[in-house]
Amino acid sequence: MLRVWGRVNSVNVKKVLWCVGELGLPFERIDAGMEYGVVGTPEYQAMNPNSRVPTIDDDGFVLWESNAIVRYLSLQYGLGTLCPEDPRRRADSDRWMDWTTAQLSPTFREVFWGMVRTAPEKRDMAFIEKNRVATAKAFDIVDKQLGTHAFIAGDHLTMGDIPLGCYAHLWLSMPIERPAHPNLEAWHKRLLERPAFNAGVNTPLS
Amino acid sequence: MLKVWGRANSSNLKKVTWLCEEIGLPYNRIDAGMAFGVVNTPEYKKLNPNGLVPTIEDGGFVLWESNAIVRYLAAKHASGTLWPTDLQVRADSDRWMDWCTSTLWPTFRPVFWNLIRTPEDKRNMKEVEEGAKKTAEILARLDGYLAGRQFVAGDQLTIGDIAFGPVVYLVNNVMPERPKLANYDAWYDRIASRPAFKKAVALPVA
Repeated sequence: MLRVWGRVNSVNVKKVLWCVGELGLPFERIDAGMEYGVVGTPEYQAMNPNSRVPTIDDDGFVLWESNAIVRYLSLQYGLGTLCPEDPRRRADSDRWMDWTTAQLSPTFREVFWGMVRTAPEKRDMAFIEKNRVATAKAFDIVDKQLGTHAFIAGDHLTMGDIPLGCYAHLWLSMPIERPAHPNLEAWHKRLLERPAFNAGVNTPLS
Repeated sequence: MLKVWGRANSSNLKKVTWLCEEIGLPYNRIDAGMAFGVVNTPEYKKLNPNGLVPTIEDGGFVLWESNAIVRYLAAKHASGTLWPTDLQVRADSDRWMDWCTSTLWPTFRPVFWNLIRTPEDKRNMKEVEEGAKKTAEILARLDGYLAGRQFVAGDQLTIGDIAFGPVVYLVNNVMPERPKLANYDAWYDRIASRPAFKKAVALPVA
């Protein structure tokens, strides 16, 4: 059976949990990271030298890096659904995974850590604000894209929605000021109708 | 012919041009970004709302995000060589593209930015020192992984090496003190000696 290592409140683990839920794959999840430890053990480091979560073991094949895991599982078990068969549609979906890591995550992370994982009296509000503004600008691009289709790369959910959806859910759940992004919010509502999204992503902020 | 927008010394552009040179794919490169401008024009923003390089146009199909472009072009033109047909080998290669974006580049970027793109009197040398120390630590992980391997995913050059090339070229040319890493150094020499690397990647650092 597919095994997934990682605590449920990691945004990168959420990607994998949502993905396996959409694909209907049976899996076993093992808590690891932050308060659970595990990631510093020699056994874990033999699988993942980065000591980070998630890591998967798919019948003896060990893989880490959350986007690569989502791509692998989508291709292996979701060709024609999560992974579009048409090369251009696949690339269109794929780029939003890279975009989320390269363009959205660096500033988003500072807002999330500041507002969710830092005590109020220790927050650097000017730094958080600078990153909040930059993150909102990145979501402007997503909002515009989502004005053309129901999902990020067309009329159906694909792998490109997965990393982005995990970040968007956190963004829309944090106690912060946000510009109106009607298409982003409508897409988020569509995601909330999916059982796999609720099971893997829609969990308390921590 | 394939059109590629981007200044020649952009690390992300180099991934695309190295790939094209490696497989002998003709392309027409249009200077854009930094000193060349272009990226903030309405015409360019229609192609790429991020205002970044690279962007490609392949027979009317427009794509951005450098790793997604590499995957798309490799799948189309280099199946079985740069694009492994075995899904597990492909995922093994693919994850290093994500790792390069999520882990290596953000760690190394402050070193590059301060030493190359910041006037001497404005450099933050503490950032340089910390960045260089952390970069050395994560390169050691890559070094461990490369033991017994010619390239990141085995005996052949694949997409994972392509994403690394432009970044490790900067690391090796900019890092003040780089620890000796036998596997990493041998791998670097192997990729840097390729004619396509010399042509597309080994340009003056700026």
